[in-house]
Amino acid sequence: MINRLTFGQFIGKNSFIHSLDARLKLICVIFLSILIFLVHDIKKIIIFSIFTLIIMLASKIDFKSLIKNLRPFYFTSIFILIMYLLFSRSELGMGILAVWRFLMLVLISLAFTFTTRISDIISAIENLAGPLKFFGIKPRNIATMISIAIRFVPSMFIAMEKTREAMISRLADFKKIGHIKLFMVVMLEKMIKSASNLSDAMQSRLYNENTENKRVMKLKANDYLSIAAVAILIMAIY
Amino acid sequence: MIEAKNINFRYEEGLILRNISLKIKDGSFTAIIGANGSGKTTLAKHFNAILAPYSGSIYVDGIDTKKNELNARKNVGFVFQNFEDQLVYSTVEEDIGFGLENMGFCQDDIKYAANQILNKLNIANLAKRNVNMLSLGQKQLAALAGVLAMKPKYIIFDEPTTMLDAKNKKSIMEIIKELNKKEKIGIILVTNVLDDLKYADNVIVLKNGEVIFDGKKMNLSKKMLKQAGLYD
Repeated sequence: MINRLTFGQFIGKNSFIHSLDARLKLICVIFLSILIFLVHDIKKIIIFSIFTLIIMLASKIDFKSLIKNLRPFYFTSIFILIMYLLFSRSELGMGILAVWRFLMLVLISLAFTFTTRISDIISAIENLAGPLKFFGIKPRNIATMISIAIRFVPSMFIAMEKTREAMISRLADFKKIGHIKLFMVVMLEKMIKSASNLSDAMQSRLYNENTENKRVMKLKANDYLSIAAVAILIMAIY
Repeated sequence: MIEAKNINFRYEEGLILRNISLKIKDGSFTAIIGANGSGKTTLAKHFNAILAPYSGSIYVDGIDTKKNELNARKNVGFVFQNFEDQLVYSTVEEDIGFGLENMGFCQDDIKYAANQILNKLNIANLAKRNVNMLSLGQKQLAALAGVLAMKPKYIIFDEPTTMLDAKNKKSIMEIIKELNKKEKIGIILVTNVLDDLKYADNVIVLKNGEVIFDGKKMNLSKKMLKQAGLYD
């Protein structure tokens, strides 16, 4: 249960990646996620993998808990590979590449959420999405929605576990479509209730979509170093 | 002073609050007690301007909550029953800053205020902890810290002891009492536990959305509590 509570959540550590500007990290996540799909040959795959490994090491992520937490992704990966083996054995290489891309995407996103505080993610999105104001869209709302979704993922896991256990204790059978449907309805109700509670709590603490963000965000030496590292990676891959 | 003047409130299922008029004085300790579904939380949400009355008015220090909800809200903090859902950000220190950010404070002032509150509540050791990793008692203190940082004149505690064990229950009630006595913060305690009344000076008893008693605790009779469905 404890592992699920921390999965994808910010953990305060004194690491190089923690020290980076949230805006820069967000842009890098987007860039690297696109870059993954441009990588095809083995040499570039190795370069990208090493780069990702360096990011993970520089984030001081606990590898033991990471490996445990990635268990659901292993099952998905094995499933994808089995499908390739059964139905398209000649393209197994493509299957392996798809699994690798999937894993890299997960690791890069984890490195971001693990090293960036929710309030910094809000400020970063608000800052980067600033031009949307001209179209009447309020960046603070978008930023808050995304960030709160990240914050409440573990709570959702716990609620799912509790609901599942409560249903099983009363002889529910999750092979039956009816019980799965019921589980979904209960979860939906819980999420709506939780969202309503959160909305009240935010209102009571003066949340206002028009509040001006007073955070001063400045790039530092580490940020420039990271920009250079990503630029080198892009050049190596192209 | 918080003043309600003839307020009525309805949800789709019907009238929840009926013609409520009351006054809560500065620095007082007021308990709002009633059976489940009597409208206690709904009434408390009106004081914080989360809900607006269907008819009638609520004034917080003379500010009409319908006309100027943000200014009214600044004076009234709210610690919710589901305090787990109240924590917005990832770490305790960061979450304390949420309200202050909305009040327009700069980062240095937020850090200073957060440190002060963490020390005041003796939870400085939790500052960097992820809110998902806290115990229920710690989560409640974190939620309280987020409210206290905003320096409200009144704080509403909605059934603060429901989810806690005996030790944490006693400790949170002691903190609430101290906030009232030492800091002169007006406390509005929403509860259905008779034992909690020992902390209050004034009591408001609700039954089916109506106030059936509003006055000093010493004038509250067992008969009244029986009538409210709180006493066998």
